[in-house]
Amino acid sequence: MSQQSLEQRFQGLPATVRQKVDAVIDDAKVALKVRVGELLADKDEVAEHAVTTAGRVGAKSGEVSELTAIMPLKPGGAERLRKFFKLVDGNLAGAGDVGTLHNMRFVFLDGDTKLLFATAYDGEWDPYIDDFATKIPEMMDHLFGNVEGWPGIHSPEVKDFIVQYQLPAEAWFVAHPNLTVAGATRLKRLDRTVQSFLTELN
Amino acid sequence: MDLFRRLTRRPTLELDDIQAAVLRSRPEPYYGTHAILEITDAALGRELLRRLSPRITSAARWDEPVPAWTMLAISYPGLVALGVPESSLASFPANFRAGMAARAERLRDTGPNAPEHWEFPFGTGRAHLAISVYADSEQAWQAAVEGYARELDQVPGVRLLSHQDFGATGFNVFGYRDGFAQPAVEGSGAETMPGDGRPIRPGEFVLGYPSETGQPLPMPSPDVLGRNGTFVVFRKYHSHVAAFNRFLHDHAGTPQERDLLGAKLVGRWRSGAPLALSPDRDDPAIGDDPTRLNDFTYSGDPRGLRTPLGAHTRRMNPRDAKLAILTDTRIRRIIRRGTSYGDPVAEDVTRDDGKSRGLDFIAISARAVDTVEFLQSEWVNSGNFVGLDKEKDPLISRQDDGARFTVPGTPPRRVQGIQSFNTLLGGEYFFMPSLSAIAWLSREPST
Repeated sequence: MSQQSLEQRFQGLPATVRQKVDAVIDDAKVALKVRVGELLADKDEVAEHAVTTAGRVGAKSGEVSELTAIMPLKPGGAERLRKFFKLVDGNLAGAGDVGTLHNMRFVFLDGDTKLLFATAYDGEWDPYIDDFATKIPEMMDHLFGNVEGWPGIHSPEVKDFIVQYQLPAEAWFVAHPNLTVAGATRLKRLDRTVQSFLTELN
Repeated sequence: MDLFRRLTRRPTLELDDIQAAVLRSRPEPYYGTHAILEITDAALGRELLRRLSPRITSAARWDEPVPAWTMLAISYPGLVALGVPESSLASFPANFRAGMAARAERLRDTGPNAPEHWEFPFGTGRAHLAISVYADSEQAWQAAVEGYARELDQVPGVRLLSHQDFGATGFNVFGYRDGFAQPAVEGSGAETMPGDGRPIRPGEFVLGYPSETGQPLPMPSPDVLGRNGTFVVFRKYHSHVAAFNRFLHDHAGTPQERDLLGAKLVGRWRSGAPLALSPDRDDPAIGDDPTRLNDFTYSGDPRGLRTPLGAHTRRMNPRDAKLAILTDTRIRRIIRRGTSYGDPVAEDVTRDDGKSRGLDFIAISARAVDTVEFLQSEWVNSGNFVGLDKEKDPLISRQDDGARFTVPGTPPRRVQGIQSFNTLLGGEYFFMPSLSAIAWLSREPST
């Protein structure tokens, strides 16, 4: 698209949007300004993906929250964790039982001295910590026991411990902000039903 | 009728130090009062505790009928007003210290349920002490109320802020039997009733004993303050019974259909008989039989064809139902000492008479504050935990415009336009100290 027609599209946006864009990224190419401006002007899209807070730390979009934490590892901690992850081929399939986890990852940083733990999950993170403490305490302590100072999943300090290493995301996007893991499971079941109905129909 | 447990084993809990409310069942019929007090002078507040302490009933022989019993609980501002040392204050959980009003967002107490609409003295920080009297007769009730009122009169520096009477037959203002499904507490000496399963570890309900984690839960310090104590969550609701009846009339044509729709919302019929045992019609023989009315599970009804996944009693106590989220339902049990106030409304009345009526939700547990915050956000004001997305509890949630309720079946039925049938009038988080902790609190702090 020509520079001129891009300029026209930008001028076609509401004045308030243009002012906002110009105030922050005046130096950007007009193509980018048009993209950002059109995004901001789409109120429904913006509202659906609105970013709120997930309890104490972290961003939330619709029902889906993010948690990013960088935690110091005990000496040999990375090695022990790596052995465990190798044992399961990096496959944490059983984590699906938690029912709120969209995804999670474990990454070693700074020469295996730190652990980056990042996850997307439904709701707020702390209502279910007590459930982890009675349902899967061994798993929690095995994974996070390699972190320096881990107080143990039964400790009353465990929530504060996690929070202190949590880094809130500055920006957060979720494709389907109101689709929880449980909701996706339901949609999959519905789809299976519809598909088998269609198959039997013909 | 005797719906309640008997003491048949040797108790291992220190029952004579634990307050009666933890184990003593609400009589039927019952009469009583919830009074809320403000302490304006620490020394006089301690003086009042000294005077009241002989009147606070212990849980010893909790199964033997007594004409009346009195319980006492203290909010965080109340502990501050009593001059409790900072080191003890800091040992209470953060959400308890913040108080219910400050936790409105987590509790989903928004819109008409928000603290700015609450009745006095809830949420003002002045509700320091709660005294409740439960009695089995009007005379015993009045005698107990006069008893503590006499002590109050003797002590300046303590103000009575509110005084709410309650009483009912065991059926709430909607006409449903309530308050009878209670957890079996290990070590209480209680007989096991059919449907109980393994009793819950005592530390879930009383501080200082092993909980479901195997360890005691963290408790306030020093030990004399924490041990044998517990937490109480109080929430007062106004009930819109005419609106509930109208909803049933609008969506069901015959009395039988209305009864069934009501049961689908509640999970039980008016007699207390659960849909799980009597799916098609009420069966008062079950409702009247303590060995039968809790003797059921949900695992055989995964789709909710008998008891809808979203029915109130199934949400609040999912028993063995498979949930969409990893949950330990054993740590979410609460001892319920809720009370009804105001006249019940007959099922055919669909016009509001504007009178004050409703229920005081009273939950006791060593993690009562965490549990009620969990219940409010996860099980009451969401349906995600049973795969119902944004559908909410049909009785005690705050419903959005255009809310609905799904009755599973072939075909399922979607009932539109469900409203909030209970509005929160206020509430507080309290600590219920042991009898020795009351004695400790009534002495001048040494530091």
